[in-house]
This record gives sequence, structure tokens and C-alpha cells, in this order.
Amino acid sequence: MKNIVYLMLAIAFFSCKNETKKEQEAKEVTVYTHRHYESDQILFKKFEEKTGIKVNIVNSSADELIQKMTIKGAQSPADVLITVDAGRLHRAKTNDLLQPVESEILNRAVPSHLRDSDNKWFGVSKRARIIAYAKDRVSEEELSTYEDLASEKWKNRIVVRSSSNVYNQSLMAAIIANNGEQAAKEWATGVVSNFAREPKGNDRDQVKAIFAGEGDVTLVNSYYIGNMLNSSNTEEVRAAQGIGIFFPNQKTTGTHVNVSGAGVAKYAPNRSNAIALLEFLVSDEAQEIFAKSNYEYPIHENVSVSETLQQWGDFKEDQLNLSILGENNKKAVILFDEARWN
Amino acid sequence: MLSIAIVFFIALPVVAIILNLFAGPGETWGHIVRNLLGQYISNSFFLLALCSVLVLLFGVTTSWFVSRYEFPFRKHMEWLLILPLAIPSYIVAYAYAGVFDYGGTFELFLRRFGVEPMRIDIMNRMGLAFVLSISLFPYVYVSSRTFFVNEANNLLEASKVLGVGEVTSFFKLILPLARPAIVAGLVLVFMEVLNDYGAAAYFGVNTFTTGIFRSWFSLEEPETAIYLSAILVIIVFALLLFEKWQRRNKQFANNKSGSHYIHRKKLSRTGQWLMFLFVLTPVALGFFIPLIQLLYWAFLTFSKVFDFSFLQLSLQSFGIAFITAFITVLVATLLIFSTKWNKLGFVKTLSRLGVLGYAIPGAVVAIGIMIPTLAIDKWLIDFLYTSFGVKTGFLINGTLVALVYAYVVRFLAVAHGPVESTSLKVSATIPDASKTLGVGNFKTFFKIEFPLIKTGLLGAFILVFIDVLKELPLTLILKPYDINTLAVKAYEYASDERIMEAAIPSLFIIFTAAIPVIFLNRLLNKTK
Repeated sequence: MKNIVYLMLAIAFFSCKNETKKEQEAKEVTVYTHRHYESDQILFKKFEEKTGIKVNIVNSSADELIQKMTIKGAQSPADVLITVDAGRLHRAKTNDLLQPVESEILNRAVPSHLRDSDNKWFGVSKRARIIAYAKDRVSEEELSTYEDLASEKWKNRIVVRSSSNVYNQSLMAAIIANNGEQAAKEWATGVVSNFAREPKGNDRDQVKAIFAGEGDVTLVNSYYIGNMLNSSNTEEVRAAQGIGIFFPNQKTTGTHVNVSGAGVAKYAPNRSNAIALLEFLVSDEAQEIFAKSNYEYPIHENVSVSETLQQWGDFKEDQLNLSILGENNKKAVILFDEARWN
Repeated sequence: MLSIAIVFFIALPVVAIILNLFAGPGETWGHIVRNLLGQYISNSFFLLALCSVLVLLFGVTTSWFVSRYEFPFRKHMEWLLILPLAIPSYIVAYAYAGVFDYGGTFELFLRRFGVEPMRIDIMNRMGLAFVLSISLFPYVYVSSRTFFVNEANNLLEASKVLGVGEVTSFFKLILPLARPAIVAGLVLVFMEVLNDYGAAAYFGVNTFTTGIFRSWFSLEEPETAIYLSAILVIIVFALLLFEKWQRRNKQFANNKSGSHYIHRKKLSRTGQWLMFLFVLTPVALGFFIPLIQLLYWAFLTFSKVFDFSFLQLSLQSFGIAFITAFITVLVATLLIFSTKWNKLGFVKTLSRLGVLGYAIPGAVVAIGIMIPTLAIDKWLIDFLYTSFGVKTGFLINGTLVALVYAYVVRFLAVAHGPVESTSLKVSATIPDASKTLGVGNFKTFFKIEFPLIKTGLLGAFILVFIDVLKELPLTLILKPYDINTLAVKAYEYASDERIMEAAIPSLFIIFTAAIPVIFLNRLLNKTK
């Protein structure tokens, strides 16, 4: 028995390799990222092969990464911060965690509404917040805008996820920017009174709820539907195929989009490597990978979208500068609370 | 003084958080009080109430049956009853949502038998209480079993001599005396329930902890989040005081514990199988059903997700959990006994403060760790450079040191409970006698007290080990970038709504946790 204890202890000690902090080498870049998809691993690997710069990845939620960078200040080893929404990048910017980057390549590749006005962050891939609906109970003519979801005819027909979700928050932030605070609050109150059930679950659950008949319409991120359509669970595929996709606000402001984006950390020890990585991420080669393997929309039009997304066709997107999503985020959350949108 | 140093380091993060209170809440505090606080309080207390009923029902009865009765598969049940702990509760929540989902396992199952599927909605606060209870009841099971195994025999023999039946003596004698042990487990359940984020957020139930995250990250006010955490800490502190108060006159010492062979009762054949089914129920609900769901998902995603790095990852997680559990139990024991020996009142109070780490959400603890350790790191770098000319990077932050330190702070309560409740039963007279004969504290401890509390220490070790394996927010913030754990891997998938893909790392967590549970359970049985 004793031997087993010793063996376990030995395994325990060996398996925890001691990390000694190495002197900064020029041939590496440390990426703090909220994204943890296979596509990103492929991208970083490609970047390593191309440039010989080693990519150290720190995975966590954007909030925690920002907190970590704030506390560590100038001691932070982060070179690049990548998040899955523009609001968090804006927050990193207001917390003075990012530095401006002057790069012709980035400016050319990223449309101006999808990057920061001070060049502190740049979108690298896009998602749209779309309406999913039950084909048998809703005709496409009934659908028009996000705003319309507050109208009487959707009573007891809307399912949606919690307002803690950042994509709902950024949609609300955009509505505040487009329609004003008062109208946004009335909108939220109207939508809440149309709920078929309390908000719960994630985006995929909303789609399944529509398919199962718990409600007729929902708001969902395009990228999740792409993933569901290609899921290994046949029931999920069936649900995603069974519902209709609608891009709202085509005749008005355009469909709300959000980006995954990246910025260079203010105290980046390897600044030039960081910029090289950003420039790589918007290159045609990298955008191809974003579009093909992850059902996201590429940031520029040089690259075509994946087959799944092609079937949905082109759409008009909201041209609102995404910095506004960050600026209005707090207001959006407060309005949600006041409207009792859990 | 070793104990003072330990207490200082344990209490440091909690103190750092409490000091932040003086800065006051942020400007949205009024908004929170107006629109949200009522909901946080009512939901959190609803969960506490329902969970305590369910957890006592599952935990106490099963541990009584397992320790006192003989029935089929009893030996296996002993360790199976601990395993629900090995599945992170948010994964259990996802698994159950998957079971009762549209096109979920339950529906497919009914369809197979030609039954028209009915929908069961589990994603509400009742469902949340159920999920948390079946994944947390082992805390009560473990803490009360130690008592039932060690103490109940003598007591029952005595009451038998007096002609009192077993059922009567269970309620009149055993249960009141086992209360400190049971409550110690219950307090852990309370703290876990208050601390849960993943399951509550997914089920759409607003609790204190979801509120803390909302005010911190969505409303961008860490100071408000800390304020809410402080309220949470006060609630837990009140619960701890309540526990102290309820066992105020119930000092109970017995030095003969563990020396008796336990004679387990045998019921009739039917009775035995009924008892087996009864004990099986919480195991099935808390372990087998989620396990089957996870296995099904793993089967669907195996080719996409699995690679051999999971083996290395398991080894790494195992190592970290093992070391942490060892240190945590050591620290808890040192704390309890050094306060006992030295009778230092303020050390005791401070150690209570340290134990509160468990009630604070992991992410907040991480902040409490980073603030003081960064200061120490900066000082160390300067010191080493000026005195020895050695240039170093951070020695604590971004290394395993900070991570293990944080784990110890966070999980001290888990070890503290079982160690304290077993140490209470060691009467002071024998160690005192030993000391009057000139034997030192440490020698007395190893000769007399250690053998008596060994089972408690083992129980504590298992609990901490499992907790570390599945810990998430702390790990995310404090881990070195080249070290990864299974829990982090599972989270990466789950947070991206790829729940099915999270099944494989979750299964690895379960298997990694099962090894020491089975092994230590053997050890536990041997000491009897």
C-alpha cells in the first residue's frame, strides 16, 4: 500500500513541470484569447510555420483576460487580446489596455465600421444576429425588423436567451444607438411581454425550442446555426434544418453584426510580432480558414463564405461603428433589468 | 509561529477583498437594489432550503444504510456514492438538460417504446435545486459516514443493552450526536450552492453569484461585485456561526473509536434488495444518468475531439489535484491542532475568516490572490536583484505557486470541516496526559491523535482532490499558460455551446477522480 502512495506522489510531482519564467525572446508572441476553436489552432500553427514566431496561447473569457491584464498592468505578458465581441474590445480600450497600431494592411482589409476609430482594435471575423422562426407557424412576410418583435402579434410566441448574454447586450446597445434610449426600453418591455417562457439556455436551445413548438421566433447568432447544421447529433441537424432563417431590418438599418476582433496590448513585450499576427489574421489565407471551418463571415469580401452560409444569401448589415456597442453596453444591461428581461 | 504564518496567508485574500468594501459599491448599486436584489435573495434562499432537504435525505440515509446494513453491492455503493461529486455540477446541468431536451435521450427512449413523448422542463429553479442536490449530496454522505462508521457501533450497543430499538436510537441518539458531522457536510453544500455559476446561468436562475458576475462583467463595476460578494460572505458567516451555536453543548469524545468490528445488520431478502434500490437511486440520478448522457455525447463526438493529449492532460490534472489536496489537508490539520495547543483566540478567528474563501466565487478569490501576490512578487524581484544580482521574472504569479496557493485558500473549508469534526471527538485528556509526561506536541499528535483522525483526513483528501479536478474560474485566471487542466478543456467547449464536445474531457475528469476515490475508500475500510 505504501508503495502505491509513493508512486502516486512521484506521478504527481513529475506531471507538474516547473515553469521557470524565461527571459523575453524576440521569437514569440503571447495571445490572450476568448476564442478556442480548432480553426484558431490551425491559424496559429500556420502563422508559426510562416514566420517562425512561436504563439503562446492563454485561453479564458474576455472578462477574465481583461481583469488579468488590468491587475498586472505593465507586467502583463500579453501581446495580443482577442475577444468574440466588439464591446469587450472597447472595454479593454477604455481601461487603457490597448495601443494604437498604424498598419496599411489592417486599414485596407478591415472596413472602417468594424474597427476602432483610434486603431486600437480590428475586427477579424463577423457574425450576424438573425431571427430564426418556425416554418409552419410563421410566414416570412410576417417578419420585418427587430423592433417589430415588440408588437402585439408575437404575444406568447418569443423565446430568447438571457440578457446576460453578450450578443443580446450588443444588439440592445445597437438599438439604443439607432432608436434612442426611451424607444429601446419600450422595445425591451414589449418583447418581454411577448415571451413564451422565461429566458434560459443558450442559442442552440432557443432553436430547438422553436422546432419543438415552445415558441415561434427567436434571436440567434448565425454562427451557431451553421454549427448546428453540421453537428454530429442528428436531432440537432434536424432542428436547424426545420427552422427558417431571416435577416431582419433589411429595409431599415440593416442586420446587427458583431465581430471577433483583436488588439495589441499596451505593454506588449513583442509589439512587432503582435502586429504581424494581426496582419496575418486579416490576410486572405487566414480569412479563408475563418470562413470555411467555423461558419463565420469573413471580414472583407475577397474571400467567399462557406457553403452553408451561401445558401442564406447576401444581406445588408448595420453600418453602425461597433465601438458604440461598447459605449452603450452598461446602459443596455440596465435597460434589460428594468424591463425584467432576465 | 507556523500557525500564525499559515493563517496570515490563508486570510490574506479574503482580507484583501473585505478591505475593498470600504471603497463602497459602484453607482449601479441603487439599480441593483431596486431591480435585482430581491430576486437574488429569494432565489438563493429557495435553493438553500430545497437543497438542504434533498441533500440530507440522500446523504444521511445512504450513509446510514451503507455503514449499518448488509445488502447486495454494498461495498461498491460505498465508493459509488462519492462519485456524483466527480462531475462538475454545471456539466450535470447540461447533461440533464440534454436528457430532457427536445430530441433528448428521454424522448428517444420513450419513442422507442412507442410512448408519445412528453416534455419535462428541468430548466427552472426547482430543476436547479435538484441538479445541485444530486451532485452535492456526497459531502453530507462522506461527513456523516465517518461518524456512523466510527462511533455508532458503541452507541448502538449501549442502547441495545438498555432495550432501545435501532430506529428509535437512530433518531433519539445517533442523529443528534452526528449533527456536527452532518452539518459540517451541509455547510459545504450551502457554500457550493451559493457559489454555483454555470448551472444557474444556464438554467436562467438569477442568484447572488450570477448577480456578482453580471455586475462585474456586464455592468463593469468590480466594486459592486465585491460588495455583493461581501453580502454573500456575511450570509455564510452567519451560517457558520449558526453551526457553532447549534453544537455548543455537544462536545463528544470517544477514544475507542475505530477499534470495533462493525456488525452489519441483514434484512430479509426483499428488504435487502429494497435497500439496495433506495441507495442506488441517488447514485443513479447523480452519477449514472449524467454518465450515460456524457458517454452518448462522447460516442457522437469521439472522432472529432479525442486525441492522446487527453492522457497527458489527465496526468497533469491528477498531479496538481494530488499536491493541492495534500497541502490543503496538511494546512487544515496544522491550523486546527495548533490553535488547540496554543489556545490562540485571534488565530482561531482568523482561520474562520480563511475558511470563508470557499463561499466567495472563485473568480473573486483569484482577484484576492493576485493583489497581494503581485506586491510580493515585485518585492522579491527587487530583493533578489539588489542583494544577489539575480534577475528573475515572477516567482508566484503565472506559476503553479499562485495556482496552488489559491486552491488551498479556496478549498480549505472542504478539508477543515471533516478534519475539525473528527478532531472534536478526540478527547483532550489523553493528549494532555501525554504532554504532562513531557512528550512534545508533534509526537503526541502522531502517536495519539493522528490514528484517531486518520479517516477524517482521508475523507478530506478525497473531497479536496475532486474539487480541484473540476475547479474552473480560479484555474482560468491563475494557471500558467503551458499548463492545462481537464476542467479548462471541458469549459472551452461548453462555453462555445459545444456541449457534446465537452463530454470527453468531462469523462476524463470522472475517471481521474474515480481512481483515488476507489483507492482511498479501500484504505478507509482497512482502518476499521
